[in-house]
This record gives sequence, structure tokens and C-alpha cells, in this order.
Amino acid sequence: MKRRSSNRKNNIYLPIKGRIESIVPLTEDVNFYRIRSEKPLSYGVGQFFMVSVWGYGEVPISVCSLPEKPEILELSIRKVGFVTNAIHRLKEGDELWFRGPYGRAFPMELSINRDVILIAGGIGLAPLRAAIHWLIKHRKKVRHISLLYGAKTPSQLLYREEFTQWEKEGIKVVLTVDSPEDGWTANIGVVTTLWHHIDVDFKRAVAYICGPPVMINASMLDLYRFGMPLSNIITTLEAHMKCGVGKCGHCYASEKYICTDGPVFSYEEIKRYRLL
Amino acid sequence: MSSEWILDKNHLSYWLRQLRKEADLIGPLRKPGGDIVFESIERIHEIFLDLPALIPGPKEFLFPQYEKLFNKRDSKVEELSIKRKRVVFGVRSCDVSAVRLLDRFFLDRFEDPFYSNRRANTLLISIVCNNPEPTCFCAGIGTGPYLREDYDIQLTDLGERYLVQAASKQGIRAIKAYSFIFSKPTRTDYDDQFEVQLSAMARFQKRISLERVRSMIITGKVRDTFWEKVATRCFECGGCVYECPLCTCFTVIDRVFGDEIERARIWDACLFKGFTRLAGGVLPNERMVMRTKRWYYHKLVHYPEVIGSFGCVGCGRCTIVCPAKIDMATVAIKIKALADNEEKIIEQKE
Amino acid sequence: MLKVLTVCPYCGCGCGLYLHVEEGRIIGVSPSRNHPVNRGTLCIKGWNCYEFIQHPDRLRTPLIRKNGTLKEATWEEALEYTARRLQEIISLYGNDSIGVLGSAKCTNEENYLIMKFTRAVLGTNNIDHCARLCHSSTVGGLAAAFGSGAMTNSISEIRDARVIFVIGSNTTEQHPMIAMHMLEAVDKGATLIVADPRKTKIAEFASIHLRHRSGTDVALLMGIMNVILGERLVDREFVMRRTENLEIFENRLREFTPDRVEKLTGVPASDIRKVARVYAAEKRSMLFYAMGITQHITGVDNVKALANLVMLTGHIGLPMSGLNPLRGQNNVQGACDMGVLPNVYTGYQKVTDPKARQKFERAWRRRLPEKPGLTVVEMTEAILDGKLKAMYIMGENPLLSDPDLNQVVKAFEKLQFLIVQDIFPNETIEFADVVFPAASFAEKNGTFTNTERRVQLIRKAIPPPGDAKADWQIITELSTAMGYPMQYRDTYEIMEEIALLTPSYGGILHYRLEEGYGLQWPCPDRKHPGTPYLHRKKFARGLGTFLTVDFKLPEEMPDDNYPLILTTGRTYFHYHTGTMCRRTTVLEREEPEPFVEINPEDAEALEIRDRSRVKISSRRGSITLMAIVTERVPKGIVFVPFHFREAAANILTSAALDPEVKIPEYKVSAVKIEPEETEKILKTEIKAFRTR
Repeated sequence: MKRRSSNRKNNIYLPIKGRIESIVPLTEDVNFYRIRSEKPLSYGVGQFFMVSVWGYGEVPISVCSLPEKPEILELSIRKVGFVTNAIHRLKEGDELWFRGPYGRAFPMELSINRDVILIAGGIGLAPLRAAIHWLIKHRKKVRHISLLYGAKTPSQLLYREEFTQWEKEGIKVVLTVDSPEDGWTANIGVVTTLWHHIDVDFKRAVAYICGPPVMINASMLDLYRFGMPLSNIITTLEAHMKCGVGKCGHCYASEKYICTDGPVFSYEEIKRYRLL
Repeated sequence: MSSEWILDKNHLSYWLRQLRKEADLIGPLRKPGGDIVFESIERIHEIFLDLPALIPGPKEFLFPQYEKLFNKRDSKVEELSIKRKRVVFGVRSCDVSAVRLLDRFFLDRFEDPFYSNRRANTLLISIVCNNPEPTCFCAGIGTGPYLREDYDIQLTDLGERYLVQAASKQGIRAIKAYSFIFSKPTRTDYDDQFEVQLSAMARFQKRISLERVRSMIITGKVRDTFWEKVATRCFECGGCVYECPLCTCFTVIDRVFGDEIERARIWDACLFKGFTRLAGGVLPNERMVMRTKRWYYHKLVHYPEVIGSFGCVGCGRCTIVCPAKIDMATVAIKIKALADNEEKIIEQKE
Repeated sequence: MLKVLTVCPYCGCGCGLYLHVEEGRIIGVSPSRNHPVNRGTLCIKGWNCYEFIQHPDRLRTPLIRKNGTLKEATWEEALEYTARRLQEIISLYGNDSIGVLGSAKCTNEENYLIMKFTRAVLGTNNIDHCARLCHSSTVGGLAAAFGSGAMTNSISEIRDARVIFVIGSNTTEQHPMIAMHMLEAVDKGATLIVADPRKTKIAEFASIHLRHRSGTDVALLMGIMNVILGERLVDREFVMRRTENLEIFENRLREFTPDRVEKLTGVPASDIRKVARVYAAEKRSMLFYAMGITQHITGVDNVKALANLVMLTGHIGLPMSGLNPLRGQNNVQGACDMGVLPNVYTGYQKVTDPKARQKFERAWRRRLPEKPGLTVVEMTEAILDGKLKAMYIMGENPLLSDPDLNQVVKAFEKLQFLIVQDIFPNETIEFADVVFPAASFAEKNGTFTNTERRVQLIRKAIPPPGDAKADWQIITELSTAMGYPMQYRDTYEIMEEIALLTPSYGGILHYRLEEGYGLQWPCPDRKHPGTPYLHRKKFARGLGTFLTVDFKLPEEMPDDNYPLILTTGRTYFHYHTGTMCRRTTVLEREEPEPFVEINPEDAEALEIRDRSRVKISSRRGSITLMAIVTERVPKGIVFVPFHFREAAANILTSAALDPEVKIPEYKVSAVKIEPEETEKILKTEIKAFRTR
């Protein structure tokens, strides 16, 4: 019986220390955190970190920035559970620990020389924000870019200040809400009612989707019907996770660990493994 | 790499006593009332050798039910890792087979440092089961009652003496250091060993072919109504998961003791509805049948596809701990009955 | 790595388990394979019972309230202060101004000592415990009918029974390891009959499920007995030789024809006939009941009706044949046996019996009070009336478990002095003047008596946290501080004293319990092997007696203002007031928030969506919680578990009491439900997608 000699450099469960540099409230229950890490980081679009508050626990959070400054990490965190509530109680200058990055990144190179559709619901825009930054960075290599974004109410739309900037970069931003508020002039309804706003060749386009499971399902189904190849429809899944490295078993779903085999999957994989 | 010796039974306690000088010796002891449990051995002559399947199995020494991971005080995080050397005497072949799979799970890809430390410091001495229990079905899976390779030290009871086989560096070292009590096996010894193996194989009461069960499942012949019936009986105790030598699910808890914060992991089970609870309270697997299927599919379908072997070593522990009798063996036998029934129907048609 | 054999601290099954100890910490648990109750299995609570022991919330030091807040103190200070205050109160207001609650969670030895302390040192019979709230009806009803109020059979007999009749017990969830034996019997061909308004999990395995209206148990049982009488299924021989007074009871019985009972209970007459025939036909039939029978104002009548049923058919006094109350707490049987009740000493020897009293007076060398004391709910009333001034509560949480909590809060605010002795801070501690930190089950030696009367050893695995001490040590020290020295080397010496004074425990001593899995009382002498089933050859009282009962409606029936019946109970994942299980990760995650189960028809009429927030109100108060729309409850009935302090079911319940044993009617109160005002857009997104 062979013992593997341990080749690890560090403990995979040990978080590293970061400091909250700034907190910007995005909506009533979502804050934007800019975190300075003690060590340089490198990560891809759609990867996540296990964010750790000692005494409360750890939660997986998708990164919403590009690693342009290696010591800076940007996260948008919704106050929804025990740990995220604890994070929301932290102030600028406080410690926030994390480890990662984990999971597969979005295959951004798929978008080269293609039309790109980004579809997001609610907090789902967070990981796609990193994708948008990537697309802007590689703007010349990408054809049309459209963002279809829905939330419950206008005040629950994330990154509202950045929309103009994105439009300047030639991204078509189409917004929709379930319940309008005063002064709302854009669309009402679910994002899958917005297809007529965009003019793309679905058969040759690529889509990146993130949002609640029902929205993901409906969007993927529509795109598939419009003739988009299954492997060009990309989404990212949410799951309960405790470790982020394929050990704790919480995110296991039909032979796949969402944390290490995902969280980014193509529609083709989702169908094959019945992940949704 | 396998080396073989003969150890006179009279010398067993001497050998174990020497091993204990460098490690915590753990072995089976009989408790008042008749239960046999793994415990640190104080008096070596009390080791109980006529073993049933022990509850819990040796998984608890490599991946305990409650394991401290870190201690944080102020801004300092201390990594808590048990590096104590252990000799676990008296484990069974199925357990060793399970540890082989656990190694792959915990050490491949991302290496689990806590498991890795415990594993590197644990020597397993297994005993060939010459008297399997009614709950055992390792023979059909090839994970027991004896192993051909990939163990630390394997003992075969030949009456007055043991045939001792070592197949790891640690195992060989544990013997060579005391080589004067070991002797070379003779032809008779090997003949006796072969007989023990044959008779062990003959004593199994259960013959279960998981392969047959698997093919029934993947060809869609086991309907959801079957799983519904299984799920209805479930007590949601988690026993099958806790006791399965291959189940590794855990959850992580943080506890604050004054100015010290402890982060620990504890065994968890996919059979609980809260196991997959999403932030905000959504329960993706609220219906019991989904969780029952998840457990069986993982072991019978996904394991073979991903790892190449079943997620079951036939130790029969779930048969012992399941209050509802919906354990692997019972369910497998029921599925096989479905298959037999189907064949009968086909025969009749023909 | 050490493994310590002990007994699960949750329910009355009394499963044997091992605590795994490594470096002075408990790192796991495993079931005992040979234990006659659990036989290698455990339920989710048992598998996780190691976690709360080392929880950071554990009480570690004595606390004394100073200027309104609880401050840490030394044992000397706390004991001296307590002794002084108690003596002051006794001298000002008399002995009966103090009330004591023992604990069904503590050991027999500790309950014996607190009973002795109350009677010999405080000089009052005002001692009771939570058995009042669960099975006092059993103790009262069965003592009257048979002469002994306990489970008559053993758990290991269940799997060989031919008929199992379960009434008012959610066995699969509340006594999982007993349900395991029932399931095995069913697998072997036994017939399972379940009577419960709710569609409980055990009902899924039943051949017949009777869903009678809450509070109509007497009528249902009378109907069954009526058929047995009418169809000549009575065991005449048994009735003649072993019982008395059937003739008196018979006339009343004739009034309950199946058709009349159908109208009262809502159960079809044909089902009643069927159950009567099935139950009467098989000698190996076991009858089980729990809180669904006892927690009514007719609790004692319900129990008497059951006793009549088993006597009528002669289904008692044999293995696999008897009447079996399933006791809730791990040691509620033991706490009752130890006389933690206002009217009896150990082994149910009456305080009003001069001979018994003299025996205890001679043993304890003190004059003992003659008049029975107050029960749990009466203590609350006595505080409000100004008669009770101080309380000593060991391991109980009345501020969540007692009925009509708003009244209880008022009472506790009025107390002059309150001692709470517990392992965790609970709701009651908020009112305490002194807090004694106690050891958990893993940190002391002693015995628990499970529901089948099995007295078993629990063993110390680790030392208690901080300055905490075992309850028995605290009592001896307090007693000594009050001028009545108690000295015991360990709990085995206390057990010896119990054996000396208690005929049914006469042969139960720790050294005999060391080997094996305990002894079942009665065990009168040191050679006696224990008694697996009761009433063999003759009843404890001689002849079993038929006691006449009559049907009475619950105290509070639904009306136009409060149209629904509320019934309360437990869930599988939680236990009582949650001090232990809600500090256990897995259990808390499974059932993290309070809920009310409501039938789809009622929900539709009230416009309540599944998983929406609702407000439930009774005449006594209201709570808000999540609605679960389910067929498990029938139309007209809603179910709320009582574990959750954030929506305490007992704010709603009424303190209507059974006249005889003073058990509150937890199972029936009239309530109304309304949806809470919430944002309507909730889930519209999902709906929109679904309708596409």
C-alpha cells in the first residue's frame, strides 16, 4: 500500500488575510467590496473565492473583477444568509479572509470573432461584470455585445453607474424589471421577453448566463431553439459549498462537483449530466 | 512488493508491544455487554480477535466525526493537525480496500492536509476474514475477504500461527525491525493459507453482484416508484453515510470560545434535506426520494464511471446501522429480484 | 482513543451508544451493536449528540444576579447566598412558599437527591417535573387501573408482535428506535393500526389509519370496545379471573355504538368495527400511546379507556401483549420512579401513607410534610396568588415548555428568588437570581431509566467544562450549606440508598449494571434478573379494575372567532425546548425555523401560500411563523412544534388541566390564522417563468 508523499505547499483550507479597502452599497442588500490581499492573486472570469469570516464560516463568492491589480479583489455580496450577514456588518479596514480562486472560469476565448449575449438576473450580474470587463479589454476581437439584465425592481439593479460606460464601449444594455418604480421607462417582465431588442446571428453567437435557476433554464432553452450551439451557451451554477475543492460533497450533483468541475458549465454539459 | 513470513501466535503480543513503543496501538476490545470496538489497547492480551464488522470502521482514525482544523486567536491562525503515529490492528480487508479509495479521493487533485497527515502516520494491520458475517458481501465485489496486493500488513490465521504479508514500506519496516520472531513460510503454510481463503469464500451468506444492479439502473429498469418505496421507509438518521467507509461528506463549523475561534469539520450526510440548502432557504433536494437516489447513484453509477470501481466495498455496515432496512445489500437484492422477475416474464413471452 | 458506553440523552428509547474520547475531547459517537433497544442503530439526534457537549455556550461558572444582571461568582458565594435566601424565605413565608422542579434529563440519583432535599431540607412536597406535562395521565390512570403506571412490555418484544395498535404517538419521529422494531414486525407480517388525526410517518406503514378529531380519543376507544362487547370478542375468562367492575363499565359502553362514534370522531363505523376485530383477534397485540392520548383535559380518561380495552381483550400480562405508554424524555420514567412528584416518594410510595412517610422520616432523620404539594402548572398559579415565593429549577425550561406562556412570564417576574441549574442558558435563566452550571450526561456517572423501565448506567467520559459540577454534587453542597450534610463518594452510594428505600429498585445497584445493558424494574433483590413484562399472573394492585369513563369535549372548541384546532408536538430533528438540538449543526440546519402545518383546503380558504408567513392567534396570544401547506394535517387542524423560542407555540396553548392529574391540554386549543402582510412580488419572477 503506497503512501503518497505529501507534495502540498500549503493547506487548501487555510484562508489568507485580506483587508476591506472600500465598501459601496449597490442596492438595499448588496454591497460592493474592494479587498486588498496580503498576497498577489490571479484568477479568471467566473471563478470564485471562499470568503471567510472567522466565527461565522465560509461562503463561495464569484469574483466580479479582472486581476488587473494582483493584490485587489472585487466582490459583490448579497446579504442572504448567516455568513453574508456577518460580512455586511464589517466596516472598511476590517479583516476579510478568503481562499481561492476555485472552479472553472468562463471560456472567454469563445467570444473571439463572435457576437456575445450576456444574460443576467439580479445578483447574477456580478460574475458577468468581470466578463464585461474582459470583453471591453478585448473589444476589438469581439463583434456585437449585448447585455440583457433583469431584476425585481429598478433599485435592485447592480452597477447602475457603470451602464453608461459600458454603452460607450459599444455594449447594448437592455434592462427589465418585474415591478417598476416611478420614472422607470425601460422594459417590464422577464429577460426572455427581450430577445427582439437584440440583433444577432444566434447560430454563431455565444451566450454567458448567470441568475436564478429558472431564468437560466428558460434562457438556455430559448437560445437553443434559436439555433445557438449547445456548447456556446455558457452558464454558472449556484450550490451550497463548504470547501470549494471537491471534498465536502455539498455541491455534488450527478457525478460532478459544482465547485471543481464547474461552476461554469455549457448547456451541453448541463444536459448530459442533468445538472439543472 | 510483497514479502511473507510466519508468526507464531505466541509471539503476537510481543510484536504488538514493540510496535506500541512508537505508536498508539488501536485494536478491537470487547466491552461489557459484548460490543466490540476499536480502542487504544492498554492490555494486549485483551485484544479480541474473532471480529465482527466494527462500528464505526477505521474511517474514524483517518477522517474523524469531529475534527478541529484551525484555531484563530487575534490575527494568528494555527493549523491543527494530528501527527500522532497509530497502528490500527485488526481491520478487515474491506476496510483496507476502502482506505485505498479514500486515498484517491482525499489526496488526488486537491490534497486534504488533515487526512494526509493522519494517513501518513497510520499503519493498518488487516486480518483475512475466515468467518464472514451474515451482513458481509465483499466477496462479490473483490474487496475481500483477503487482498492480493495494496495493503500494509495482512495476517492470515492458520491456527497456531499467522501468515504475515507486508506490501508497503511501513509494513515491511514494522516486521523487519523484529525479524527474529518471524520465520520463512513453507509450502504447507501456503497450502493452509489457500485453504483458509477457499473456506472463507464458501462461508458468505450473501452473493450480490453490484454489476447486475448497476446495469439495471443505467438501463432505466429501476423505476422511480421503486425508489419512492425505498425513500418512504427512510428514518433520515444518516447512519448509512456516517458508517459507510467511503462516505466523506462533511460540513464546517466555526465556534467562538471567548477570544479563540475554532474551525472544525464534522461528518455530514447527503441524506439530509438541509445538506444542499441554498442561501435564502431554497432546498434543491427536498423530496426524500431525490436524496435516496443520490446516495445510490453516487455509489453504483457515478463511482464506476469516474473512479472505475463501485462506491461500496461490501462491508455490510449500512445493513447493521439502517433502522429501516433500506441498506445497500437489501436494496441490491430487491433490484436483483426485479431483474429476475423481468427475465421470467421474458421467458414466458418466448 | 477511548470509547465510553453510555445512554443517549434525548428520548425515552434509551439507546446505548459509545462516546469517542481523544485527548479529553469527545470526537464522535457510535451505536452499541448488542444493545436490546437500538441494536446497532441510532437516529439523527443520537448520531449527533456529541456536538452540544462541547458547545461554547455551556455554562461554566456560577452566576448571581446583582443590580439586574447575572455576574460570575464562586461556588462558595453562590451556595452561601442561595442557602441564606432560601432560609430567609422559609422563615418569612413558611416551607410551602418554595417550589422545586426536578428534571427528566437528569439521572435517577440526582432526582432522588433533589426529592430528598425538597422534602427533608426545604420541608415541602412542592416538587414536580415535566412528566406532569407529558405522562402524568399515565401515572394516574394506569396506577388506578393496574396499580403501576409504566410500559408493560419490553421494546425487544415488539418485533414478534402480530398486531400493533399505535394511538396518539408519532413513533417514527419521536421514538425512532421503537418504530424500527415496529417496522420489523410489520415486515414479518404484523398488522399495524394507527390512530392519529395527523398523517404521521408511522401512519404510512399502517394497514388502517384512523384520523379521528383531536380530543375524541375516549369516544373512539369506547366505540372499539363497544364492538368487541357486541361481537362477543371479549376474553371472558381473563375478565373473570383477573379483573373486576366490568359490569359497572359495561352499561356506559353500550351507549357508544359505532354509528354514534362515527358522528363524534369522524371515523367511519366500518373502520371502527374492523379495528376492533383485528385487535381483539390476536393475542400477541401490543398497544402503544404517547402525548396524543395524555395531553388532554381528558388525559386520565383516555388512559383509563386504553386500560379497559386491554383488559377487555385480555391483551396484557404476557410477552408481546400489553399496554405501552411511550415516555418522552430519556429519564422521565426514572424521575417519576424517584418520586419527583408532589404526592409520592420513590417507587410511588404515597406521602399520605403514614407507614411510607415514617420509613423515609427514619431514613432521613427529619420530619416530613404530610400534605401532597403543588404540580407544575399549579405552581405558576400559586406564584400569581402570592403563595409561592421562590423556586429551584434543575434542568427544566418552563418558560418555553409550560402552557400559556404569557401567564408564566407574569408569574416568574413575581418570584422573589429563582435558582436555575442547567447546562445552557435558556429562557428561564433570564429570570434567575442564581445560576448553577451543571455537568452534561457525558460528564458524570449515574443511571437513566428508559421507557421500558430499563435502568442503565451512564458513564463519565470527560470532565465538565469550567467550574461546572454534576447536579448531584451541587445538591449535596447546597444541602450541606443549609445545615443538612449529604455525603456520597459517587452516585453508586446514592443508588444504594434508593435501593434500600424503594422496593421496585431493591436489587438495582451500579455494580450489577456494569455488565450488560441494565435491569428492568421491578427488581426487588440483588439476585432478581429484572422484569421484562409487567402484570404477569396478577396485576400490581391484585385485580385489574375497569374504571368508568365518559366522553367529554375538549375545553376549548373552535368557534367563529377561533375556527381552527391547534395541536402541538415535536419534530424529528428537534427536541423539546431546543437547548441541545438547536446547538447541533445538522439538526438546526434541517429545521431552522418554526412552522405551522395547515391543510390545503384551509390554506386556500384563508389565502395562505405554502411557505408564506402567517400569524396564528389564540385567546392568549399570537405568534408569526412560516406556513407549510400539507395533507399531513386534516382540515380544521393545524400543527405547530413547540421547540422554537422565536415563535413559541405555548404562547397559544391553554392551561386547561385534567382535573385529576393536572396535565395541560396541549393538544387542543382554538386558534385563527391570517396571512402576514408581505411583499406581493415575492416569487412573481418564478411564476412568470412557469406560466410561459
